Amino acid sequence: MGVEEKGKVPLLPSGVPVGSKPHATDSTLFAQGRPKPLSLDESVAFIKNWFRAQSLNVMAYGTGCGSIELGPLGTSRFDMERFGITGGPTPRQSSVLIISGYLSVKTLKRVIRSYEQMPNPRWVVALGSCTINGGMYWDSYSTIKILDQYLPVDVYVNGCMPRPEALIAGFKDLMDMIKRGEANGYIEYQNNLDWYRANQRKVIKDWNLPEYSW
Amino acid sequence: MNEFVQEIQARFEVLWSNPQRPDLMQIGVRQVNALPLLTWLKSNTGYFILNHFSAVDWIEDGEFQLTYLLTDYAARRSLMVCVRIDRAAPTAESVHHLWPEAVTYEQEMFEMFGISFPGSPRQGVDLLLEGWEDIPPMRRDFDTAAFAEEAFGFRPGRTHTNPRDRVAIAFGQKGFLHDH
Amino acid sequence: MELLLQILWSSIGVLIAVAYGLLTGGIVRKLFARIQGRVGPPVYQGFIDLGKNFFVRDNISHGPMFYFGPALRTAGGVGIFLFIPAIVGWAPGENFSFAGDLLLVMYFMFFGSLGMALGGSAGGHPHTPIGAGRGLSQMTAFEVPFILAVIALVADTGSFSVHDLTLAQAGGFLEWNLLTHPFAAAAAFIAMLGMNGYAPFNVVGAPNEIPVGPMTEYQGGFIATLGTGRAIFAIAKMILFMDLFLGGATSILEAFIKVFVIYMWSVAVAAVFPRYRVDQSMRFFLGWPALIGVVAVLLALF
Repeated sequence: MGVEEKGKVPLLPSGVPVGSKPHATDSTLFAQGRPKPLSLDESVAFIKNWFRAQSLNVMAYGTGCGSIELGPLGTSRFDMERFGITGGPTPRQSSVLIISGYLSVKTLKRVIRSYEQMPNPRWVVALGSCTINGGMYWDSYSTIKILDQYLPVDVYVNGCMPRPEALIAGFKDLMDMIKRGEANGYIEYQNNLDWYRANQRKVIKDWNLPEYSW
Repeated sequence: MNEFVQEIQARFEVLWSNPQRPDLMQIGVRQVNALPLLTWLKSNTGYFILNHFSAVDWIEDGEFQLTYLLTDYAARRSLMVCVRIDRAAPTAESVHHLWPEAVTYEQEMFEMFGISFPGSPRQGVDLLLEGWEDIPPMRRDFDTAAFAEEAFGFRPGRTHTNPRDRVAIAFGQKGFLHDH
Repeated sequence: MELLLQILWSSIGVLIAVAYGLLTGGIVRKLFARIQGRVGPPVYQGFIDLGKNFFVRDNISHGPMFYFGPALRTAGGVGIFLFIPAIVGWAPGENFSFAGDLLLVMYFMFFGSLGMALGGSAGGHPHTPIGAGRGLSQMTAFEVPFILAVIALVADTGSFSVHDLTLAQAGGFLEWNLLTHPFAAAAAFIAMLGMNGYAPFNVVGAPNEIPVGPMTEYQGGFIATLGTGRAIFAIAKMILFMDLFLGGATSILEAFIKVFVIYMWSVAVAAVFPRYRVDQSMRFFLGWPALIGVVAVLLALF
């Protein structure tokens, strides 16, 4: 009595061995529910979409070399704030996620997590050729090639790297799409979550994310 | 630099030496001599900074080559110590007790080449490839393009444009740039 | 009947204060942009951000305590506004001023930050307690010169009512406490820099280090509520300063102008100064400003 059996690690109430590093699927730490499917129809969608388009918050998260192009956007030369675009310091307060350039599998896991923490409506702008078809990393063992298999992309900005002007043009396109009610990638993601999950699990071999990263 | 190589030769067996530049010497030593040599270099000479630590895959010889780049900043000289290890059972002695910064290099080499350094901290901890199941990707028998094609796939409709082909289209089949 | 009418007037006053706060925030953003050589957002950007945050489709909560942050912060702003006279001598603008309201208002100033510390910590993000701790410690520091200045005014006038303090300054700008009590005014206006949270003292919500401090986990409707609270809080504080030091206002236009001028003082400082660390700002507030406040109290007493 009272003596631990040798070689047997005691378990936490959640079934996780003591001393092992916290696992993201630990149900005591994370919410486990799945999101409800979203519908397109909203009341007074026109007014809501106008407000959403005029005030975009770009999440401060650079995934690849393209994030070097995001810095100048805030400076006096390009000044994205004149379109109402500001930086979102956390996923919770952001509405636009920019995938800036190549996306390695390791980063993809973090990106999925960040994307699912953003509140709806949310949009993805993919920057550079790497997100479209691999770009110069077409034969790399660690970067994904077709981004829209893993995340719903609303606007692609091609180039290697695109200039900040091109990015601003992409933002203007996104704003027009939001105003017309066409930028509905977030609805697609929520409604086809199983398809996206299957693709994500195919490349992320050590899948340790919760059911949905609330 | 040659005098310095002779000084090393007096203590350890130097298999070959190759002066690449006036300030850069390359020497090859046996694996058993590697750790004593590095310890001696660090404690007794000016070469006490590990600038770089990497591996080369000599698949034809069935060997890996570990390269320690040591620098003497006072004399502005560098010494490249090359050690061949067996490719079938790649194990080398860790130098993390001499240079703590070697831990990251050793972690990376374990992941990218499968070379294990017993005793090194963070050995086997994922650095970049989380959940990697294939053979280590920096080995030369790993086919990156085929792996990427199989794992990530191409979007249909991709066309391939080699600059050489464009030259051929513009200047005829003879080729413009390659014709001397 | 009179009470109902007063409630109606004060509600309209709160709405006007929110609108004016949002507009002033937009003007400040535009000003900063022009100083940095940018075009800047339109001045009505604050309203668009508010609307956009209200139209976020899902809000993620972290339990009942999570709601306290925005609620208490907005309540603090509304409380300050309701208990001080916005326009002296005009019944609709007097709000619910009563004898001793100055003490209540000082309490309300602490209220919002305490609420954020409580509510934000319910989110469980490690940055939240860091931000809340910075905010509370900085607040303790800048309260010292501000309270010393208030004590000086109260000792001289003999009343804890903002209304009486304002009436004591009637009769031309030469009677303003800004000129008759220069030391108290200096201490209070330096403390205001800390209260507003603009540049030298904005480490609380430092967006680059601890994303946004106490607000890290808030989103959507919570942020919209916080934005409303911040707008009215800023205006209410300016009205308090106007009543205490600039002789109050006798018309809406005068109130608008004076509030704007006082607001621009902290903006002008913010435009040219980098950020203090929290220990530096505490050392700053407990140094010269506190000393000036002590001198003000001594001058008022003897």
